[in-house]
Amino acid sequence: MTTKVASSSTAYDAHQERSRQEQWRADKWMMVGVFFIGTAVLGLIGLPFFLYGLSLQIRAAKEGLSVRPVLVTLIGYLVAVDAALNSLGWALDLIGNHTLLARVFLMSWGNMFDGGYFWHYNELAIGGATAPGEKAWVIALLPLMFSMRIAAAIGFLQMKRWGHQWLVVTCWFGVIAWTGYVANMTIFFDVRYAGVVFPVVGWWLYDIFYITPYLAIPYLHTVNREIFSD
Amino acid sequence: MNKLTMSRQDRRRWRAMVVFQLVAYGYLLGMFLLQLYMLSNRDW
Amino acid sequence: MTDIAKDKLPAGTEPAFAGMHKWLQRGLIVCLVALVLEGALTFPLLAIWYGWPQLSLQEICGEFEKIRFADESRECIYPYPLFAESEGKGQKTAQDVWSSQPRPKYERVEYRGLIKRREARLARQAAEKAAAAASAMTTSPVAAPAN
Repeated sequence: MTTKVASSSTAYDAHQERSRQEQWRADKWMMVGVFFIGTAVLGLIGLPFFLYGLSLQIRAAKEGLSVRPVLVTLIGYLVAVDAALNSLGWALDLIGNHTLLARVFLMSWGNMFDGGYFWHYNELAIGGATAPGEKAWVIALLPLMFSMRIAAAIGFLQMKRWGHQWLVVTCWFGVIAWTGYVANMTIFFDVRYAGVVFPVVGWWLYDIFYITPYLAIPYLHTVNREIFSD
Repeated sequence: MNKLTMSRQDRRRWRAMVVFQLVAYGYLLGMFLLQLYMLSNRDW
Repeated sequence: MTDIAKDKLPAGTEPAFAGMHKWLQRGLIVCLVALVLEGALTFPLLAIWYGWPQLSLQEICGEFEKIRFADESRECIYPYPLFAESEGKGQKTAQDVWSSQPRPKYERVEYRGLIKRREARLARQAAEKAAAAASAMTTSPVAAPAN
């Protein structure tokens, strides 16, 4: 009797251990992938790494190992990528606004899609975007929302309860950010779009793929929360 | 928790999420259309 | 938990939300691929549109500055001194229609338009210089060395 229990519990432990190993193996590939994707320019190098890691995880799940649900993996990493790419651009604006990189690529992006990153650029004492309201969004969202969201994404990928909760908080913050930001752009329409190469349609086509929080929220509120643990 | 209350709760949650999506995407779509309209109005 | 339909669903997904979660997953994959493509293509395509490699990055930077502040005498200072004032601080040349919603007066840049702008400007400046030199020769040849 006792030996039977012991052997079944060691079988369970072994299963858990193998699951953990497979998950970690998949995660290593995906983390390398996300690192490259987060640099923007090297994204195409990163994507195959990420997809290979994802396929490892899916295969492990098919073998009956208890790995993360695919959606948790996708949301966790995509939230991190979204935040990393935004942080890259805005750190350039906030801190690196007199670098050649900012004055060529941020300027040309602004000139093409969003005059907020061209109009009177580098005229404020702190440099960077001068468009009404823009700097305030950068200051509020970059050190607060995006860094919090990356932390939340890490906890979420570890299937921690706090990761789930903080992802809920920061994704709703994302909805507020989108709502306010788009309203600001509409109000100062001329600054944002006059003299721009692809006004309105260009900006929306470019930026709409950053709506990750809108896709994450319905999942976060309908997932069975018992899969997250303390 | 019995099955009946569970499904009712699920149904409410489902509906809430659909309403959220409609409002959130609706607002974005509205802003986009408004900007397109403003664009057609400008002389630049 | 022995329910067959439930066993096929990923952990955390209740049958009631299976459809919704499937659509969310599709959307997430689209976003991921789109962000990767954008990230990878934005820099090279922007550089090409604005005249690289015919113009160096610093020249592109300089052309932007001339447009932004409507001032041909502006150059792109690079590397920019670390604790210096912002390059545009206190400028008085930028052209706008000022109101509660200001409107810039600069014009849209066409495909590789910065190259054309630069060439036109250099040609005009060369012509002006030649004309000035010529008029100086004809009108006051003696006045010039007096300075």
